[in-house]
Amino acid sequence: MKSQLRQYIQETLLENGAPHAVQDDENLLGSGLVDSVGMMSLVLFIEETFGVAVPPEDVTIEHFLSIDTIATYLEARVAA
Amino acid sequence: MDFSWSDEQRAFRDRVVAFARESLNDDLRTLDAQGAFPRVLWDRCAAFGLLGLAVPEAYSGTPDVDFLTAMLAMEGLGYGCRENGLAFGINAQLWTVQLPLLRFGTNAQKERWLPRLCRGEWIGAHAITEPEAGSDIFNLQTHARRVEGGYVLHGAKCLVSFAPIADLALIFATLDPALGKWGITAFVVEKGTPGFHAGPVQEKMGLRTVPIGAFTFDDCFVPDENRIGPEGAGVSISTHSLEWERCCILASQLGAMERQLETAIAFARERKQFGQAIGKFQSVAHRITDMKLRLETARLLLYKVAWLKQNNKSAMLEAALLKLYISESFVASGLDAIRVHGGRGYLTENEVERDLRDAIGGLLYAGTSDIQRNIIARLLGL
Repeated sequence: MKSQLRQYIQETLLENGAPHAVQDDENLLGSGLVDSVGMMSLVLFIEETFGVAVPPEDVTIEHFLSIDTIATYLEARVAA
Repeated sequence: MDFSWSDEQRAFRDRVVAFARESLNDDLRTLDAQGAFPRVLWDRCAAFGLLGLAVPEAYSGTPDVDFLTAMLAMEGLGYGCRENGLAFGINAQLWTVQLPLLRFGTNAQKERWLPRLCRGEWIGAHAITEPEAGSDIFNLQTHARRVEGGYVLHGAKCLVSFAPIADLALIFATLDPALGKWGITAFVVEKGTPGFHAGPVQEKMGLRTVPIGAFTFDDCFVPDENRIGPEGAGVSISTHSLEWERCCILASQLGAMERQLETAIAFARERKQFGQAIGKFQSVAHRITDMKLRLETARLLLYKVAWLKQNNKSAMLEAALLKLYISESFVASGLDAIRVHGGRGYLTENEVERDLRDAIGGLLYAGTSDIQRNIIARLLGL
């Protein structure tokens, strides 16, 4: 799951296409790595790839700060 | 993908058109000249059930309709009602106030606010734009500070439709500027709340019957129960609302474009110059042909987006394309309509030029055309 997220973020969402190895604990939001349009795209990718519905109210810094927190959130959603 | 309408849907649209023609076209030039909000017409729309279209019967008191039918009704409203401001205002409340409350509100919040809005007793405003947060929409300065039992708001909003007369406002404020857009949280503030002030009506070019103005929050306390959704979910709530708004708010403009086209055709067939109807001149006929092409291509985009939303599919790209295309088309066709009518179209008394003035706002609200192009480009991987 993390590798798929990492690959999508790295190849599709990073601004300017600059080479950047995204770390699993790296802050995606505060650093501006992923902007709001990018976040919408990421949510769509997650829903299509992992078959998990992500309600808009769940798209918060708590759940989407980093690849680690996204994975934790998705695992909880799948388990629920 | 099936864009055909059922007999029931067509009949509902026809009822909306008949209602709008009969009940919503009173003394429009005076209303426009005075920039007066037509409260009587608003109340008629509420009594007809238009203000409850996006809300379940349990809250609205009007029979449930699906989203596609609601959108078709809004198209019919724009076709039958020549007062574009009224149609804009109804759409603004439906999709940017009522829908977020319905989607993200608690049961208690829905029960408190939605029935009053649907009955037309209260008017709601959606307030996100700030002096330093226009197209850079999430660069908010309005701040919410956590206190015992709620939050204290401080800041200002501008360019808010209905601000001068709103009974409640859905507003967005940041809990922590260090979190950037991810600290933004949504709140409802009711009229009369200490520290909450609405500014006067500001004159504008078009949609003059929808009062626009500013809000200020001067250490304004709002209780916990007025927060909409979780802390930090403001961006998602706003983005969700904006996508729906882009899908729906221009449906009435599509209806207006159809009315505008029919008016132009009728005039071109009747008006004679150089011994024949002006519609026989290619320059006029081609102009009207372009209006028809814009109408039908806009219709296809609108119905596609509506179909996607009805089927819970993503419409990020399509909604941006739609917003960009309909708003630009309404402006282009508004200008073409004036050219077809010549000097008559330039005179306010003939109600041709008002459509053009009303159309200009569509290039700006809910994300400017440039912002829509930015979104489209990003989603194309550029």
